[in-house]
Amino acid sequence: MDTFIEYFRLFFSVALVSNLVLAKFLGLCPFIGVTKKTSSAVGMGFAVIFVMALASVATFAIYKLVLMPLGLEKALNIVVFILVIASLVQFVEMVVQKVSPPLYRALGIYLPLITTNCAVLGVTQLNLAFRDGSFGAGLLKSAIQGVGGGLGFLLAMILMSGMRERLDTLPLPKAMKGVPIAFVTTACLALAFLGFTGMA
Amino acid sequence: MISLAPPLMPVLAAADAAPSPVGTVALSILVVGLLGAVFGIILFVASKKFAVKTDPRVEEVLGALPGANCGACGLAGCPAYAEGVVLKGLAVNLCAPGGAKAAKMIAAVMGVEPGESERRVSVLRCRGSRARAKERMEYRGVADCRAAALVLGGPKACTYGCLGLGTCVEACPFGAIVMGADGLPHVLEARCTACGRCVDACPRHLYVLAPEKRTVHVLCSSRDPGRATRAACEVGCIACKACERACKFDAIHVVDNLAVIDEEKCKNCGACVRACPQAIIGDFRKMRKALAASARSATNAGGEAAAS
Amino acid sequence: MASLRREFVKGFTSEIPIFGLFLGLCPTLAVTTNLSNGVGMGAATLFVLVASNVIISAMRRWIPPKIRIPCFIVVIATFVTIVKLTLAAFLPDLDESLGIFVALIVVNCIVLGRAEAFASRTGVLPSLVDGLGMGIGFILALLLVSGVREVLGAWSVWGLPISQLKAARGTPGVDPIEILVQAPGAFLVLGFLLAAFALVRSRRVAVSRTADARAAIALEPEVGPAVAKRRKAEAAAKKKAAAEKQAQKKGPGLPTPGGEAPE
Repeated sequence: MDTFIEYFRLFFSVALVSNLVLAKFLGLCPFIGVTKKTSSAVGMGFAVIFVMALASVATFAIYKLVLMPLGLEKALNIVVFILVIASLVQFVEMVVQKVSPPLYRALGIYLPLITTNCAVLGVTQLNLAFRDGSFGAGLLKSAIQGVGGGLGFLLAMILMSGMRERLDTLPLPKAMKGVPIAFVTTACLALAFLGFTGMA
Repeated sequence: MISLAPPLMPVLAAADAAPSPVGTVALSILVVGLLGAVFGIILFVASKKFAVKTDPRVEEVLGALPGANCGACGLAGCPAYAEGVVLKGLAVNLCAPGGAKAAKMIAAVMGVEPGESERRVSVLRCRGSRARAKERMEYRGVADCRAAALVLGGPKACTYGCLGLGTCVEACPFGAIVMGADGLPHVLEARCTACGRCVDACPRHLYVLAPEKRTVHVLCSSRDPGRATRAACEVGCIACKACERACKFDAIHVVDNLAVIDEEKCKNCGACVRACPQAIIGDFRKMRKALAASARSATNAGGEAAAS
Repeated sequence: MASLRREFVKGFTSEIPIFGLFLGLCPTLAVTTNLSNGVGMGAATLFVLVASNVIISAMRRWIPPKIRIPCFIVVIATFVTIVKLTLAAFLPDLDESLGIFVALIVVNCIVLGRAEAFASRTGVLPSLVDGLGMGIGFILALLLVSGVREVLGAWSVWGLPISQLKAARGTPGVDPIEILVQAPGAFLVLGFLLAAFALVRSRRVAVSRTADARAAIALEPEVGPAVAKRRKAEAAAKKKAAAEKQAQKKGPGLPTPGGEAPE
């Protein structure tokens, strides 16, 4: 049985050391597209945390309970996972729209974009590292990786959007304006996050 | 350890017994099909249970809109405007980029009259380029008119005039404003959709959205008295009232040291244009005619090319 | 036939993935640590792109519009699974270096984007050609990024060290720029390459925009034409008067040193 410290280390590692965006290069399209304003970055970040956590748990469960016993895990891995994620996003959109219209108006446009967010599918694939173990422990680790990854993604997005709002006012060469300088800034941010290596 | 293996024993046995490709394929199809069905049922039930009554017309109105989410209608994006039209009864012709075409389509969906929606364009009411308007200090700072305007009233001698740093050029989502070589922005009327972003962006409030059929405009916004204006800019309004005297329709008056045209009375005759000694009243008629003619010839040429 | 050629060529010229269309960024940064990985990923994506474009185009009339995205995704996921299993069997080293990014081809915006924007509305042959063009464009783009990263960052080309530079390694102050093969370097390289492409593109746009603008600016609103005419006339008259005055002043002037009397 893993100790609490193991779980904390996993959380810390996926949130900071192997940050999904800055170290693992996942979720770049929304990272560049949505961080022009901090308000949209925060909205997208929270939506991603929510979907990532649920998707991690659901996909891991189906992998362990259905695919592995049937020996189909290599063949149907990708197809089933993406189906789960797409259905989950659709379901979440419906629930949010009904339960909290203001929240839906704030997050609504980002939810369908999360289906093709490579960060979500990427995390579900990373969770497969826990498949050789007990189901309960693996499920918990998947959940932690989902939540932690999402939080790390949110952190990176907030940092980036704050910087980009300032970058807009700077006198830059025309060719660097917009996406190129955003990438160079991300490089600096990634460099800073490299400092976490060795902490996990 | 939980496992769904027990109920699926017969299937597993079959899979083990026949590890042939056909068996795997059949099993895969079965599994994906089952999962798909399960998800489909869950989603179907959820869609019924969590149904939010949305008028189908909202989708149709949304389809008629250009989808630029520019906010010219005053709402936060095209979906919001579509909702507003269907659910709150907003006017059908508020979409500037969509123009008359969108208004007609929306009106058809809603079953109402389109209402009038004439084409409007943005007009810059200043002619103070670098050559004509004097600078009184060298500005080094953020290259944005809004920032420059805050510094001691701006780097130009005329505190009402254009600063030429291009905030409006950046603000226009349709690329309809270009910066001229002499530091004065120029509106490409063919691309202007009267969305109003430039009006909001200019810190000196120099832009105005005017109907296309209004062809005479006062191209200065300076309220300084005559001598001060003449010292600051070659093409500033000196409140000499020559235009007032020339107008036969009592449509132009000097108010607060600036000539102002009364839109109700103005007949676009151009008498004031010819009378102004400072050459600051502009007649856009010839320019717009020429633009329309060149646009027509361009579409004709394009049509021929497409047909060939 | 000309239109087919156009579809093919645009995939690696005007609409080249990554640099022309801002799509497919995630795999670009992750797998371009060296040339072989980059090309491998590009080839895998090319296969998926062509195959899914063809199938989706062939099935386009039977896919209900409301559920078209999930249908596309299932088709694409099938081909991605084929690629993954093939790589695992025949090129396990490549499979391991590419890691989860083979699976992520299914959510690669290029593939889904072309399916949605093109294959679902066009015939099979144009879709195939489009997929081929885009795939080749993607490979070229990946070659560029991974080339820069591997040559400058690890001083090797396709895993083989560059011999001259190898001798320099170890000399104090001369080292490969190792950060380029790590995470921050990826962002840096892509940022500068995007800027380079933006520069080229803006030059082209600027030329056309300037022509556009010049044509429009040439048509200014009329301002006081009679006034301008009058002023010109006045100025000319003034000049003439001044010249006459000068001539008069000089007229019955002092005799020139030569002693010749003026006329």
